[in-house]
Amino acid sequence: MEKLVIRRAAVLGAGVMGAQIAAHLANADVPVVLFDLAAPGGTPNGIVNKALDVLKKLEPSPLATKERLGYIDAANYDQHLGLLSECDLVIEAIAEKMEWKEDLYQRITPHLKPGAIVASNTSGLSISHLAAILPAERRSHFCGIHFFNPPRYMSLVEIIPTAESLPGMLDRLETWLTSRLGKNVVRAKDTPNFIANRIGVFSMLAVMHHTTRMGLGFDEVDALTGPKIGRAKSATYRTADVVGLDTMAHVIRTMKDTLADDPWHAYFESPAWLAALIEKGALGQKTRAGVFRKVGKEIQVLDLAKLDYRPSAGEIATEVDAILKIRNPAEKFAALRASGHPQAKFLWAIFRDIFHYAACQLEQIADNARDLDFAMRWGFGWSQGPFETWQAAGWQPIAEAIAADIAAGVAMSATPLPAWVFERNGVHEPAGSYSASANKLSPRSSLPVYRRQLFPERVLGEAPDPRGETVWQNDGVRLWTHPLDANIAIVSVKSKMHTVGDEVLDGLLEAVARAEKGFDGLVIWHEPPFAVGANLQQVSEACAAGKFDLLEATVAKFQRASMALKHAQVPTVAAVQGMALGGGCEFVMHAGHRVMALESYCGLVEAGVGLIPAGGGCKEFALRAAEIAKRQAGNDPFYFLQNVFTTIAMAHVSKSALEAKDMGFAGASDDFVFNANELLYVAIRRARAMAEAGWRPPLRARGVAVAGRPGIATLEMMLVNMKEGGMISAHDYRVAKAAATALCGGDVEPGTIVDDEWLLAVERREFVELLKTPETQARIKHMLETGKPLRN
Amino acid sequence: MSKQVQDAYIVAATRLPVGKRKGMFRTTRPDDMLAFALRSVLAQVPQIEPKLVGDVIVGCAMPEAEQGMNVARIGVLLAGLPDTVPAITINRFCSSGVNAVAMAADRIRLGECDVAIGAGTESMSILAQMMGNKVASNPAFFTDENRAIAYGMGITAERVAERWQVTREQQDAFAVESNRRALAAIAAGQFKDEITPYLVREHLPDFASGTVNIRERLFENDEGPRPGTTMESLAKLRAVFAAKGSVTAGNSSQMSDGAAAVLLMSEAAVKRYNVKPLARFVSFSVAGVPPEIMGIGPIEAIPRVLAQAGVKQEDIGWIELNEAFAAQSLAVIRELGLDPAKVNPLGGAIALGHPLGATGAIRTATVVHGMRRTKQKWGLVTMCIGTGMGAAGLFEAL
Repeated sequence: MEKLVIRRAAVLGAGVMGAQIAAHLANADVPVVLFDLAAPGGTPNGIVNKALDVLKKLEPSPLATKERLGYIDAANYDQHLGLLSECDLVIEAIAEKMEWKEDLYQRITPHLKPGAIVASNTSGLSISHLAAILPAERRSHFCGIHFFNPPRYMSLVEIIPTAESLPGMLDRLETWLTSRLGKNVVRAKDTPNFIANRIGVFSMLAVMHHTTRMGLGFDEVDALTGPKIGRAKSATYRTADVVGLDTMAHVIRTMKDTLADDPWHAYFESPAWLAALIEKGALGQKTRAGVFRKVGKEIQVLDLAKLDYRPSAGEIATEVDAILKIRNPAEKFAALRASGHPQAKFLWAIFRDIFHYAACQLEQIADNARDLDFAMRWGFGWSQGPFETWQAAGWQPIAEAIAADIAAGVAMSATPLPAWVFERNGVHEPAGSYSASANKLSPRSSLPVYRRQLFPERVLGEAPDPRGETVWQNDGVRLWTHPLDANIAIVSVKSKMHTVGDEVLDGLLEAVARAEKGFDGLVIWHEPPFAVGANLQQVSEACAAGKFDLLEATVAKFQRASMALKHAQVPTVAAVQGMALGGGCEFVMHAGHRVMALESYCGLVEAGVGLIPAGGGCKEFALRAAEIAKRQAGNDPFYFLQNVFTTIAMAHVSKSALEAKDMGFAGASDDFVFNANELLYVAIRRARAMAEAGWRPPLRARGVAVAGRPGIATLEMMLVNMKEGGMISAHDYRVAKAAATALCGGDVEPGTIVDDEWLLAVERREFVELLKTPETQARIKHMLETGKPLRN
Repeated sequence: MSKQVQDAYIVAATRLPVGKRKGMFRTTRPDDMLAFALRSVLAQVPQIEPKLVGDVIVGCAMPEAEQGMNVARIGVLLAGLPDTVPAITINRFCSSGVNAVAMAADRIRLGECDVAIGAGTESMSILAQMMGNKVASNPAFFTDENRAIAYGMGITAERVAERWQVTREQQDAFAVESNRRALAAIAAGQFKDEITPYLVREHLPDFASGTVNIRERLFENDEGPRPGTTMESLAKLRAVFAAKGSVTAGNSSQMSDGAAAVLLMSEAAVKRYNVKPLARFVSFSVAGVPPEIMGIGPIEAIPRVLAQAGVKQEDIGWIELNEAFAAQSLAVIRELGLDPAKVNPLGGAIALGHPLGATGAIRTATVVHGMRRTKQKWGLVTMCIGTGMGAAGLFEAL
């Protein structure tokens, strides 16, 4: 397949979405020109410059590192349209006004690069209508490209082709979006609101309808429609507040205007309370009041009966909670339907109406049921799409129950379920997912890019991926191989959150030994998180029993495991995604190579539990400081350590893999992968390449010059001032000084030459001394009990 | 009056405008600033040939890197003074500038030379870190007796605020007044006598043509004063040195770049070359105080210099008290019963900036010209000094 080459991209419209899309392009090393109107008065790029300022402040950050901002060029339509001639991809993301878009498309057309792809991020307007504005020869390279907010973090992108879109162009774009930008692509049909918003907004309308019908509180409904049923924590009404109630009303209005033939059209109305809130200027989070508001520390919720706010409670009835805890979906749904409790009735009603709506709309809006389910997972953060939930609960029994409710007139619409529903036992099968428009099973995309995903997300009912050949395992890890390369061993940690306990250390040591003997390389990979650190339960128990010798031995084993990874006779590759904290971060640092998903959050956070990195983390930084110093005039390792010290003392965690690199947890030659589903593929290929390149492990470090006593003293100077200023506690001081001591190579003269063994011994000794303090033990206990750090 | 071999007279005093850290002088070197100050002060007394200068004494608080290598001598050579003119860099932190003036006066008073220059230069923009290019503390600091050596200045200000009960509101009000006075003085042209404008030249790339452009901007007025500084705007700032502290960026001195030079002559030389002096250098004192409350240094230094000269405090018409922090300034004013109207009539370091080792020479120029304009007789330049000292220089307007 021909490759899509995008050397530079343009984004038209520096609104919330446009600016954030530009940021994500910059994250992916694509230089961007971000356009908006020329500002009346002041600097012509004023509007875009303001948008770029907002990008710096948004949380969670759209930028992988702040420096990425430097790759977004501000531009305006009056002065800079000429720049479009250098752009291979133009994404239009201006306000949803057809006449504005018409005008803009006409203005840009003469400046476009031949063969450039033009795509609209519209979420409401018809893609075919937009295509028609462009000259005929441009339409083959036009389609819809619908991102979700926030675009860095929401993985869904809907591609909406028109009849004239070139299939090869669509395939190339899908490939590029998947691998380069790390998105999950679903092809949608050109119908209003496409797939995810069509179903998602309907779902919100259904929830609103049943909330008022059943007389439930908004807080109660949010408790019911959040994580308890596999949806985002912000559930329904919090989500509406975050999105903005005015935006919600606008989206509902669009549905009303564009979906006149939809059988549920009567429900496409903003409820009276929503209109009233908007009238009052209570638009949600952006105005600090909406369905919810915060007064002091109290969260309050709008009470429809009182027409005023009251403290938010949102409790789920015990009997309903018990039903939601039932593991078997069929039993759970049966119990929901059988229950007379209003909360249970409400839940059944919203599921029923979403199932009903999705089944009726499938043919019109999506190629197949898998696309619809994935759109809901990736665009709305549902853990399962509606069809999966239905199928898990028993396809036919649920279908009959829906049909019965329709017949009884209690469903939101009297429209019958489509006939195909009764002819099947589900929509997802190993061979594919049901396509209502083609009336057959639709297999997964055969685009080569998906071969890079060894364990892609699967909908329920799809054939599971083969788990590979197990080579060896213990309670802590599994050593196995994947058919992609049977001579690269993969070690996966089994523990909860992949904490590193004794059995994991044993497993890793054994895995390295076996890989050295019988394989060409070793990859550490498992589902996220990479690892949240040492098993504190084991540490706490040993502390309580006063077994400090045992603890010292465990720390020594931790260090051996790190050193085994670093100095293995085969290349070791850490495939990192999600959190890599404490000991997990130290393994990342010690691996022969790192393949990191963009969303990797690395940090040496031991200070939070009153400890310092002692799995070789301090040693690694001391080595790097010496290495860098050697290449600098003055030979002083201290400068590098000063920043590292802050990172460790403040327990800083990177907000992306690229930031992890900047913080020193990874290097410039490591791999940064935007689609986490490709992680294992890349890691195996990287291990293979390293083996083929004639891997030689790094030599044990000798001749290391350390910062020594004045280094510790200079870091301590900061601590004295923070302590005197009441910024840190006496124990914070002690912990940070221990880190300073380990980083500077102990209480020796500056420039003293040591080796890695010495550095490991220093950090081990400091670690064990801290463990013996009651304050550190209290911190560990508190973390285990509450999951939060104790400041003592 | 203490016994002197002969008197030393100030015949010219000038300074560059003070730049904010990373502001107008961000790329201007401290040796160039010094050379400019030296040339400017000599230009004001054309009848004095540069070769007559017997010594140049330059204060600098972080004499390293661009201002290392005896920046005084480098400045003299860059200024085009004859090779025969010697120079020395001295450092007593924040008093270095006035200390340099005093030491230049001393050489004259002892009869060792007839013409001398006391000066100061400091760029805080060029230092990689606030405390110099390489901070390296002694492990011996971390005992109960020595810990205060390691204290940052902010912590010492908090200590003073605590012990002298200076509230956040009082500190902020002092800062507002400092800015108000400074802005008013600039608007009224009251710094014109002492400032020699500096043409800042910067080599900047022109990406369109691929050439290097030289941008020239004439820098005329101090960059530090902030219009619109109010109690409300200052109240929004957080205490930076202590969790429950009162010292903020708004009520502390600013980090700055600057330089100044003061030309002194003996009475005999004044007569010989027919020069009209601006002021007489009277006396100088310095005293130690506990390092953890270094800000109170002037409480010790001021009475000492007055006693040395036999001058009464109430006779002092103009006091340049370096505003390291509003907290310590207020503690000094209260403890000594200074008249707030006479302290920093044109604003102080909170508004005007504090280029450490240059400040003493800069404020000497301020007090000498200010007293002449307002017909005052006695004036002081005084400041606190890190690690616990205070200094004061006394001048008599002529």
